[in-house]
Amino acid sequence: MTLRTYIISRILLTIPMIFILLTTVFLVMRVLPGDPVMLHFEKMENPEAMALMRTRLGLDKPLLFQYFDYVIGLFRGDLGLSMQDYSPVAQQIFSAFPATLELAICSMIIAVLIGIFLGVESSKAYNRPKDQLIRVFGIVTYAIPVFFLGMILQMIFGVGLHWLPVGGRIYPAMEPTGLSIPLSLPPGGFITHFLLSSLAGLFLLGVYFAVAKVKHKKLSRKDYIISLALFVTGWLLWAGIGWYCISNGGIRVATGLFTIDSLLEGNLYKFGLTLKYLFLPSLTLGLVLCGIFIRITRSNMLETLRLDFVTAAKARGLKESTVTYGYALRNAFLPVLTMMGLQFAMLLAGAVLTETTFSWPGLGRYLIDRINFRDYTAIQGTVVVFGILVSIVSLAIDLLYAYLDPRIRL
Amino acid sequence: MEKSYILNDLNNVLAVKKLRMKDVKAVGKMVIVGILIIVIIIAGVAGYYLMAPQTKLKETLIMGTTDSVETCLDPARAYDFFGWEIIQSLGCSLVEYKAGATGTAEDLIPSLATSWTVSDDGLQWTFNLRQGVKYDDGTEFTADDVKYTFDRGIGIADEDGAFVGIGYGDIIQSVTVVSTYVVRFDLKIPFAAFLSLMACQASYIVDPTYAPKSGDSWSVADVVVYKDGDARGSHPMGLGPYKLKSWSRVAGKDTEMTLEANSLYWNAAAGYPKTKTIKITFYADAAGLALAITAGDIDVAFRQLAATDITNMKSNTNLKVWEGTGAFIQYLCMQQKNAPFNNVKAREAVAAAINRSMLVETVFQGQAQKLYSMIPIGMFGHTDAFQSIGDPNYTRTKELLSELGYNENNKFSFTLWYETSGHYPQSPQQALVLKSALEASGVISVTLEGRDWAAYKVKRSEETMEAYIYGWYPDYIDPDDYIYPFVQSSGGSWLHHNYASAQMDQLIAWARGNTTQATRTDLYGQIQDLMVTDVPIIPMYQSSAYAVSKLNVKGVYLDITQQWRNWLVYVEE
Repeated sequence: MTLRTYIISRILLTIPMIFILLTTVFLVMRVLPGDPVMLHFEKMENPEAMALMRTRLGLDKPLLFQYFDYVIGLFRGDLGLSMQDYSPVAQQIFSAFPATLELAICSMIIAVLIGIFLGVESSKAYNRPKDQLIRVFGIVTYAIPVFFLGMILQMIFGVGLHWLPVGGRIYPAMEPTGLSIPLSLPPGGFITHFLLSSLAGLFLLGVYFAVAKVKHKKLSRKDYIISLALFVTGWLLWAGIGWYCISNGGIRVATGLFTIDSLLEGNLYKFGLTLKYLFLPSLTLGLVLCGIFIRITRSNMLETLRLDFVTAAKARGLKESTVTYGYALRNAFLPVLTMMGLQFAMLLAGAVLTETTFSWPGLGRYLIDRINFRDYTAIQGTVVVFGILVSIVSLAIDLLYAYLDPRIRL
Repeated sequence: MEKSYILNDLNNVLAVKKLRMKDVKAVGKMVIVGILIIVIIIAGVAGYYLMAPQTKLKETLIMGTTDSVETCLDPARAYDFFGWEIIQSLGCSLVEYKAGATGTAEDLIPSLATSWTVSDDGLQWTFNLRQGVKYDDGTEFTADDVKYTFDRGIGIADEDGAFVGIGYGDIIQSVTVVSTYVVRFDLKIPFAAFLSLMACQASYIVDPTYAPKSGDSWSVADVVVYKDGDARGSHPMGLGPYKLKSWSRVAGKDTEMTLEANSLYWNAAAGYPKTKTIKITFYADAAGLALAITAGDIDVAFRQLAATDITNMKSNTNLKVWEGTGAFIQYLCMQQKNAPFNNVKAREAVAAAINRSMLVETVFQGQAQKLYSMIPIGMFGHTDAFQSIGDPNYTRTKELLSELGYNENNKFSFTLWYETSGHYPQSPQQALVLKSALEASGVISVTLEGRDWAAYKVKRSEETMEAYIYGWYPDYIDPDDYIYPFVQSSGGSWLHHNYASAQMDQLIAWARGNTTQATRTDLYGQIQDLMVTDVPIIPMYQSSAYAVSKLNVKGVYLDITQQWRNWLVYVEE
């Protein structure tokens, strides 16, 4: 099997998986007692208004029709309208997604760093008190409920020490704007613009020249042609962006990940603030997830450290840290990588609770809110997005696996 | 042989030397990397402090809440506590309640209307409007805008909104512009609480520029909804003390909101609003909000704090706890369609066995009041009618139940339902306390059943719950809003407890249609007496309202209106 067929078959397998997931959620939500229409009528009930609302939400149609309507919409990339506030679900998920992604990445980094470090240390101190201590730590953090750990951290760092905020994603009205290129040029701006465009072209050209010079020592005719093409591309690109900026009064590059956006904006204060808000939730989730990494790193390291090449490396007088982290860990890392993929689903589940504990405006909190409201479309949409995310991550991990271990070729 | 050994040795020595050189280089690299990291950290920290914005704390107040705007900030649709709170800051109504109100007619003070008259039959209300009032975009406010607002709300008839919920269309016949500054309302029925209705947030005046009519007739598409990045376009108000400077929502929940003083507010000359900027932060739950105010992240925390947190904060010397009358009440409903509660004796027996003190003390730690009427304490017309049944009076319970054939060996048993998803405060605890109080009579046996809010509402409409705990927040501040929706035969149909009494309906109709306060007070007294006789519903407790702030925050008023008046709150230096 080539890599390409592998990827394609994996992607194709994702589709039935998502459908099974979607169908289950679709049915479970409707079996569950509760009615979104009724929840719109907080106090008085008005039968005519309720019937109208039912039609408006499409709930008057037979169940099978509702299902197919939804599936057809899904193929068009349409996740439907929320049953609570009538705005597009896709837009709501899109607005909450960066928060969850940022939390997921940071907590995964924390979990892996803590997990690997403690795992290696514990394998080196095999069966000594340090090892026992680390193993107990791993089990405790793994077993502790995430919201409980979160509340303890809030009590210590927020209420007790006043070091970190206890909730939210960033201080009100401080959201980083990302990179702004204001290019609404003053009169005579077109000359400046022309010069800037030429500079951009020259820059690309220069880079190519430098690379080519280092690589080939001598420039060929082909190189000159390519550099000319690069100059023109650079000029056009800059001119295009510039034209866009002038007609739109500026351009904004923002990812929704506040750590990156604040750096793009060049505002270190906001960056620091973002980290402050991000630290406790990611630490909580990271600590809960790190237990499994400790265990898996430890057991794999124990096996690897017994291998001949480790003894050989030690015998050659290599430093202890080089042997463990440079050689042994590299071999023991692959199972950790697999675990990262598997833990991603767990991470999303943990995010649901962490986001509520820390008032983090992400997908997990969104899902909880909407389950309480029986917002069928929003729940279906979120679950589909979660399903797609998990399959993308596991595919990416598989590919990384093949790349890291030359012995594995698909 | 020897030579090769020596050579090998030499090679080894050289290798070792090379290794050491490598080590030295590696150390050098490490040092450089270390220095670089330290420099980056120092530069970063320096940058952090240099770029920190200089804020004048006095002009900015940070509020924290667990609430969020439910749907939007258009009075035609918004029907939730926080949505109304913000509408009240952004807009203005014809009349408003003064701070510290008790719900009487004297508490209603002029706002956009300077004076008003009512015809003898109570069907015609005429308002004289304040002159020279401007919207935040500079256009002038006239009687046309009043007509526009009510025609719009009734015309849109959004199922989510208060216009349908309260039934404006069933009350108002038409709105007529008499002159530029005079407007007249013709009513379908004489409605005593009309002024209160005019003070409720659904009656706030909109700006036609920001609330245009798209088609020939009004439709739900005309409702002004949240627009990402366009705070001004996200609400149709514009006459209030504040302007909406920014508003972000993520996934249908507020994440940030900033209010800024409106210099064109009609009462700006008198120094309102007192705080220039109000920033609102949103927390996912009561625990998060409690932590934030304790940690000093916010200046004021308003809604929702748990009772235990408030008790703790009362002993915290860095915080001030503001306490006020709440208008939120909870009561016990009984299914009167079939046995056992179709018998008034069974209902009265339960009413006599309820221990309100236990409920208030154990569940709410004293942060609620015992309620002996559906009309809340602090509102005109309130009487402690249900006290005559007992609180608790187990002798009475035993007596009534023995008439029905129940005793210690053959207990009267029924199922008590409660909701579990936090829609009402501490429902599971309430249910537990009720159960133990009822069973203390020795002749009642209670089975508890919980459902999450969505399922609970369905159960209510299916009329399959024998007894169930329910709650009420007022729409307008008038006894009518606490009587009509519960015991009037059609007004109470939403509750599905199947109580209907011709005598009650008649009394309510009289009380609704009369505009003399003394007569109304008398009528509500009769209504409450009749409720004690019929026991259609059992009032349990009335919440107290709480806000917690830093010590330097002033101007918080918590009264029966449940309004949070942003324009009165300020931070003292």
